[in-house]
Amino acid sequence: MYLNNVLDMSISDELRHLEMYLVDEFQKGRKVADLYELVQYAGNIVPRLYLLITVGVVYIKSNELSRRDILKDLVEMCRGVQHPLRGLFLRNYLLQCTKNVLPDNTEEASGGENESGNVQDSVDFIQLNFAEMNKLWVRMQHQGHSRDRERREQERRELRILVGTNLVRLSQLECIDMERFKKNVLPGVLEQVVNCKDPISQEYLMECIIQVFPDDFHLQSLNSFLRACADLHPNVNVKNIIIALIDRLANFSQNEEGSGIPSDIQLFDIFSQQIAQVIQNRPDMSPEDIVSLQVALMNLALKCYPEKVDYVDKVLETTEDIFNRLNLDHLEHGTAVSKELMRLMKIPIDTYNSILSVLELQHFGPMFEYFDFKGRRIMSCYIINNILENETNIPTQEQVDLVLNIVNCLVQDQNDQPEEADDPDDFAEEQGLMGRFIHLLHSDDPNQQFLILNIARKHFGSGGDQRIKYTLPPIVFAAFRLANRYADLKEQDENWKKKCQKIFQFCHQTIGALIKAEQAEIPLRLFLQGAVTAGSIEFENHETVAYEFMSQAFSIYEEEISDSKAQLAAITLIIGTLEQMRCFGEENHEPLRTKCALAASKLLKKPDQCRGVSICSHLFWSGKSSDQDDEMKDGKRVSDCLKKGLKIANQCMDSSVQVQLFVELLNNYIYFYEKGCDQIPIQVLNQIISKIQEHLPNLEANEETDQINKHFKNTVEHLQTMKFAKDCKVSFEGLTIE
Amino acid sequence: MSFFGFGQSAEVDIILDGQDSRKTAEIKTEDGKKERYYLYFDGETVSGKVNVTLKKPGSKLEHQGIKIEFIGQIELYYDRGNHHEFTSLVKELARPGELVQNTSYNFEFQQVEKPYESYTGANVRLRYFLRVTIVKRLSDVVKEQDIIVHTLSHYPEMNNSIKMEVGIEDCLHIEFEYNKSKYHLKDVIVGKIYFLLVRIKIRYMELAIVRREITGAGPNTFNENETIAKYEIMDGAPVRGESIPIRLFLSGYELTPTMRDINKKFSVRYYLNLVLVDEEERRYFKQQEITIFRRSDKNRKTYQATAHHPTRERKPDPEPEPEENSVDTEK
Repeated sequence: MYLNNVLDMSISDELRHLEMYLVDEFQKGRKVADLYELVQYAGNIVPRLYLLITVGVVYIKSNELSRRDILKDLVEMCRGVQHPLRGLFLRNYLLQCTKNVLPDNTEEASGGENESGNVQDSVDFIQLNFAEMNKLWVRMQHQGHSRDRERREQERRELRILVGTNLVRLSQLECIDMERFKKNVLPGVLEQVVNCKDPISQEYLMECIIQVFPDDFHLQSLNSFLRACADLHPNVNVKNIIIALIDRLANFSQNEEGSGIPSDIQLFDIFSQQIAQVIQNRPDMSPEDIVSLQVALMNLALKCYPEKVDYVDKVLETTEDIFNRLNLDHLEHGTAVSKELMRLMKIPIDTYNSILSVLELQHFGPMFEYFDFKGRRIMSCYIINNILENETNIPTQEQVDLVLNIVNCLVQDQNDQPEEADDPDDFAEEQGLMGRFIHLLHSDDPNQQFLILNIARKHFGSGGDQRIKYTLPPIVFAAFRLANRYADLKEQDENWKKKCQKIFQFCHQTIGALIKAEQAEIPLRLFLQGAVTAGSIEFENHETVAYEFMSQAFSIYEEEISDSKAQLAAITLIIGTLEQMRCFGEENHEPLRTKCALAASKLLKKPDQCRGVSICSHLFWSGKSSDQDDEMKDGKRVSDCLKKGLKIANQCMDSSVQVQLFVELLNNYIYFYEKGCDQIPIQVLNQIISKIQEHLPNLEANEETDQINKHFKNTVEHLQTMKFAKDCKVSFEGLTIE
Repeated sequence: MSFFGFGQSAEVDIILDGQDSRKTAEIKTEDGKKERYYLYFDGETVSGKVNVTLKKPGSKLEHQGIKIEFIGQIELYYDRGNHHEFTSLVKELARPGELVQNTSYNFEFQQVEKPYESYTGANVRLRYFLRVTIVKRLSDVVKEQDIIVHTLSHYPEMNNSIKMEVGIEDCLHIEFEYNKSKYHLKDVIVGKIYFLLVRIKIRYMELAIVRREITGAGPNTFNENETIAKYEIMDGAPVRGESIPIRLFLSGYELTPTMRDINKKFSVRYYLNLVLVDEEERRYFKQQEITIFRRSDKNRKTYQATAHHPTRERKPDPEPEPEENSVDTEK
């Protein structure tokens, strides 16, 4: 094949030299007509025809009146070469040589013969040559052994450009206008393509037609082109052809500003009908190809008619109908049809970049039912990610309901989900997405927001123990935020208090659901957060609500948390929360703080007890009940707590931990001393310091000891700074430090 | 001419009238060389002058008479001794006597009938010549001068195309058409081959022009076939429905008019042989006789006008008989 090309090129070159020589000769007065006859004495047909073409073109150049007849003669005489390869190259040579001499005018024959011809003669010439070349090209397929088929098809593909050049040449004729194209050019070309019944040829030539002729021609002749598509060989990938055309027209509608698609051409309807026809004509067409066509159709709808949501919906509806007809269901993930359907469904998501627009499509949600579990999950994640990336707020209860129904497989267990559990990391990531998503369920109208939270709660509530720990907390937080919004709106909404009450009930019950799911840590924290929130909003009963939340936190602490470290962490949180709250009257505050102190002192491990009680000390200092105007500043109780801490520290067996506790207690003492607590004499500081200094050197040298050492050193440095600072409120007189 | 190297001798030259303006034509000799002579047509007068030049000025030449003959004869190569003269005219130029000086004699053969065309073939030759003889006692002085005769034909009134459907059952069916059955020497054969059925793998197809020269009669008939032209008209294998054009210019080949039964001695006939060759080198062919004739052209007419001698033109020979519809194969 390669050799053939090289030969052909070198022959062409030589003949071009000959042509130049001949042109010279004839300008000097030799008769071309004689030579046109003379070359025909060559006995072998192939060289004879090459010569004839060469001389023929010179003839035309020297005498334009001969043009029409010579062209006709040349293209006819070439029939003599029936050998596919040699014929193709010969006719290609003919096409090359005549490139610049084809008549391209529209003058009609006036009375007599118009010998130099007009554009119609060029069209006839090229179409005949095209038909003959295509026949030769197709014939290659049927010659030789069947075992060489692959090689032969490869050869044919390499040669296709020769055939396609005919169409290029047609497209270069400037006098072909829309009318002529529709009437005299396209029908002939399509007829040839359809009748040759050869898949390779049909596929390539249809593509060629799309590429070489201008878009506005295509627009005007869509129906005939698409009808031809329906008649192509079953092995032809019609899908690719139609898609290429759609893509081209879709781009055309976008590139050319102003012109776009003429309003009299119902592009979408035409394609929609013709594609339906193609699908009907091909019962063997694979479902993925059918969906691919719908993908192209949807692209067309979105690019050419971005405002027409119903076109997109129509595509989805058609797809759904087809799936029903084919009895397709639960498309297995990873299959071609599933992939194509995903592609189809992602288009509106990516194009609109707003789930709210997607929700307007009536047939979008139902299409989800055709995926299997894995497919639904991937698509759901895709939607949620899109929402998150675009930060799309979902502002109504109905829309929330719709979205959650669509992404249902992320919300609750499915009938068709696999037996084995998911990879925990993947599951966490996916549910984390849902958590983030919940924060986008937002309406500016608080009443609507409450409805949104309720519907979300309903959906997520049925998600099972594994999911709700990711999904319910954000709902609770959203509810707290809503309560704060009502508090801000108290001037405008006289019912705000009742609504707040309702919200906290909602929260209480939601957190309760988490407890039922054997969660402890999260409900505890949510109760504490709820207590803080309720405490800060002054609706009726807010103290009661806050107290209830606190007491719920306590009961979780007591009943559900057994790990000692978790207990310490929990009591620390509870103490911290109570310390900050200002809503409790003394009658509520007193039992709570006592409960805290008691709980702290009842921790199992000594170091935990020590730390617990020393943290408690702050409750008695900066804690505040609503009855008092000021913080408690109860130095006596502070001192008691710290003394108790010292006592417990002394009981510690592990000297390293003991010294560490001393250093921590020293820091607490210094804090309260600096705050001016009169129950703390400077001697206590001295005692603790000397105790630390006594024990510290005996500790085993290790990393932990280094830490303690450093902590102590920093503390001492702080004391020195304070001792010599001039504007210090309290005196460090009597502090003994080296 | 003299055996003894003494005695008077003479050179004879034949000068034809209008020699400067007369056309000439070429003809092959027996050994394949080409010679050029003056061209005459049927019915044209052949006239001129015979110059006798004495080789030894001053001495006389005795002779028994001087004559000029116009001869048309057919020579069969296998029968060298026998020349068949179909035309023989004699004119006496001088009665017996003496020549003492160089002498010229005019001669004229009025409107001579020249029924056949000059021809040199494989086994036969047809020639016309003038012969001047100075009859002497010991050895005559003889001078021969050849001329060439072309026979002209009217454009035939009937000239049907040759059209035929032939084939081998379930193997090959073609329909061919040549636009005429009679072609003049500068004519073009135009036609087409239409393939109705192709079950063989054809490699190429060619059109050959075959000349058949038939000499003798009865058991002594000799046939000599010669392929004058081989012209490839198709490369590769066609499929059903293909139609292949034929265009063959004849003027490039050495053709003569068809001659049938010339003086009962010989015939020259032409055939178009369509040959298909398949990939196994098998040849499938179909032969069709065509008639070739010489057309009187315009130049010739102007010449006639000046010569005031209308020449006779004939109808070309009758059409060949139709043949059977079958393709022949050579195994």
